[in-house]
Amino acid sequence: MTELQQPLSQLQETSEPLLDAQKMQFWLDKAVAWDQAGGAHAQKDILRHLRGLTDFLKQVLAQISNIGSTAESMKELPFLGQIVGRLCWNPYVTVGDTNRGLLLQCLWGLYSENPSNAVERKANQWIRKVLCRLATEEENPAAEILMKSTGVPPKEYHLRVLKKMVKQHQENIGKTCCPKKSTDPSCRCSCDVIQTTSEAFVPLIDCPEASPVICSLLQHPGTSFTDALSEDFLDALNSTDSNLALDETALVSVWYHSLPRLEEAVLDLLESVISTGSAPQNLEQQVLKTQLPKACAHHCSMFLVVNDIFRSILRQAEGNLVVQSVIQTFTRCFLKELEELEPQAKTYICTFTMNNNLLSAGKSQTSTSLKAFFPQSPPSLLVPLLTLPSEMPQEAWKNHLEWLTASLQRLTEQEEEEEDSQSSRSHHNGFETWFLLVQCSHWVQVAGELLVTSEAEPCSPLLWLLTFYYHPTNRWHCRAAHLEEAKKAWSHLHALSSSSVVSPTADHLQPLITLLSPKPQPPSPAPLLTLSLTVYSAVFCRLPHSQSVEFFHTSRWCMRLACTMKQHVFSAHCSTG
Amino acid sequence: MEAVLKNVASAVELLAVAAYSDAMSQWDEKTLSRAFHWARYCEHVYTRFHTNSAGRRVVEKQLQHTNARLRDAFADYREVSFMDLPRCEHLLLLALLSNPHLPISTMKILFGKKDVASRYYDYKEVTGLCSHLIQCKSACKVLCPFSGLSAVDADAEVQGEMLMKRLDALLSQGSDPQQAEHFLHSVLLLSEEAAHHSCLVITAALLTASDSGTQTSSQSFLLNWLQKEHGMLQHMGSTLPSAVLKDLARAHGKFRDAYFSALKKWASEMEYSLNDGEWLPEGTAPSLSFQEMVEHFSDLFDACPSLRRNAEDELLALKILDGDFDARGLSVWGDILSELKK
Repeated sequence: MTELQQPLSQLQETSEPLLDAQKMQFWLDKAVAWDQAGGAHAQKDILRHLRGLTDFLKQVLAQISNIGSTAESMKELPFLGQIVGRLCWNPYVTVGDTNRGLLLQCLWGLYSENPSNAVERKANQWIRKVLCRLATEEENPAAEILMKSTGVPPKEYHLRVLKKMVKQHQENIGKTCCPKKSTDPSCRCSCDVIQTTSEAFVPLIDCPEASPVICSLLQHPGTSFTDALSEDFLDALNSTDSNLALDETALVSVWYHSLPRLEEAVLDLLESVISTGSAPQNLEQQVLKTQLPKACAHHCSMFLVVNDIFRSILRQAEGNLVVQSVIQTFTRCFLKELEELEPQAKTYICTFTMNNNLLSAGKSQTSTSLKAFFPQSPPSLLVPLLTLPSEMPQEAWKNHLEWLTASLQRLTEQEEEEEDSQSSRSHHNGFETWFLLVQCSHWVQVAGELLVTSEAEPCSPLLWLLTFYYHPTNRWHCRAAHLEEAKKAWSHLHALSSSSVVSPTADHLQPLITLLSPKPQPPSPAPLLTLSLTVYSAVFCRLPHSQSVEFFHTSRWCMRLACTMKQHVFSAHCSTG
Repeated sequence: MEAVLKNVASAVELLAVAAYSDAMSQWDEKTLSRAFHWARYCEHVYTRFHTNSAGRRVVEKQLQHTNARLRDAFADYREVSFMDLPRCEHLLLLALLSNPHLPISTMKILFGKKDVASRYYDYKEVTGLCSHLIQCKSACKVLCPFSGLSAVDADAEVQGEMLMKRLDALLSQGSDPQQAEHFLHSVLLLSEEAAHHSCLVITAALLTASDSGTQTSSQSFLLNWLQKEHGMLQHMGSTLPSAVLKDLARAHGKFRDAYFSALKKWASEMEYSLNDGEWLPEGTAPSLSFQEMVEHFSDLFDACPSLRRNAEDELLALKILDGDFDARGLSVWGDILSELKK
């Protein structure tokens, strides 16, 4: 049985030491009250106590397992039999997977394989009887007679009735809001219908047959703009473990109404990418499959939330390139969806150029709608960074990058000056600048490619850009050291690729290895950058395959990082190409 | 056919073992699953032969034979009839759960979580069978207070469908119509308390859109039966909401006529009370007030305008028979007519 996944010890840790008589009395009183009230009156109270009931049942179960003997359990937990017995007949308790499962487990716990006394024998008999009745007894005699005369089994009958009820509710939701002038008392405003129906379906949130109504509730146009859905319904959505069979629109609606579910979806995506280590060409598929880019294109608020999640992850795990490539892929997919949604908002704008003879143009959304999606990013960088390299002639790339780098340098230096004067706002801006670059790291890939394929001197703006991307923080002004190291690495790589040595020996590769190996002191200041340059070389240069293989073999630590980096580079390469 | 009969016999024997013997304490998960496969096989046999009277007779004969053998073997043996075959899975479940020798491990499988991705591929249909059933039943009870979305409750609708399907089968077999009448009697005329529910079932059965000739003739048969059952018709007329009665009258001419006749009969039984200044129901007539009576007539004419002219003439003729007075309280027909004219 997969009902209770936690090991018993964990259960015992979370539960209180002992269930006292007071608590048992409380739940007995509740069970009796619910039995007597019945119907919709009882529903509100039961729903309010359902979560508490789950905790209580878990405690009961833990204690029964601890005690190990039915007779002892019955002695130590007063009214246990009565409580369990009554709850078994309460449909609000038995309709949900969790509580039904816990109740059944309590029954198994009270069953004795080898009964040694009258109490245990009686308990066994009672348990069998309850289970038999629960599964086979028919409360409606007329229905039972009809079933027997028509040869319809109870399973089929109840399923048909349930499906019909669900269908009636669905049709009810589908009816439009009646005009205000209507005097027909049976015509109700659709907001009422949504509210009542969502209340009614709270206990059925993990019932698979109920999912058409749950989808209809979530997809109804009224729910997006009003608070028509009941609070209890949204709570239940948040806390259900089951995978609701929701279609695209319903899923987006769930995220819109439930922040925890949106967060869950984002974290699931990151987890699946990190754990499965998907190939770069699959990353885009994986991201698209989650429907997150589409959902965010429809709802600005969702995009902001998703980016906040990405931000907090990046802050905690600097240098996590997989996360960075997910962010970049997600942003790219999001922009595509946004463009499809609002094609008429596209305007051609002439952008920046260092060379008057070369005009580069880029397509983009109007800056007002972009600002809504990227409120914290430096506005002057928005359009230049969001423009894809493929939307620009290749000759313009270098100038564009030099302009970008200049702007970025200016912004970050400003920030660092302000930081020195202890202004707290500046640090935030610095991070936002870098974050926007991460979202638009297609330009970083282009910079890397240009850097390793260019002849003469290393182009310092490009080098600066790469350094900033891989090592954004300038703690203790270490950026200068990073740049130095980057220059060294570039020189070595340039030498290697332009030399006529066919198969380099370890001597040839040694300088690079020295730069990369994680020696205790002094630690390499820019390992990621150096490695990235190496990978770029391997990918874009005439560096023969054998050389790169040789190189990566010499450092196992490098190998792993290299795989990650290759992913990173390839994925961007695919997008810019 | 030989093979089918042999299999049916084996299945019925399996059912008996499940219900009465302790041999099933040895059953493991695979055996359990196989038992349910046999139960489903019986359901197929029913589907195949229930409209084929010759085939059905042969199967029934085999069942008689097997029942006799098993009666000798097991003291409390309950016979399995042809009509039990489509419910074999339920009977097997009942047998197993009532048998005190059923191992607790088997019960845990039946009541376990319905896991679609269960690793027990062979018996994943058996896993959580009871659990799902309990969930369904509970869900229906939970949604019950929120019914009233349509004229007829969901369970009455489903029962109406079941009724019509069985009636179709009985009538199409060319068997004695008495059998069909007996069937209607046995399921619809249960008790006073159940009368209202039976009304809803009949309503649902009559309002299901009939898209085949068989359905139309079955509905016609049901209406004929209803016309003879004054008690049921009375109950329908006095308890069903007017919108439903209008739908029924619109859909079926026979119902319209039967309902009109019933209304006339109830009106004729009303007596004028001088103390109350009002017509009151007497005797066996349903306790409808005069105003309600008028509303019923009015609704009926709204639903069936073609009836109105002739009906008004009839009522007028009845008024004339009563003396053709215009004063209130002398002729129920006159008073009804004058209310209707308002």
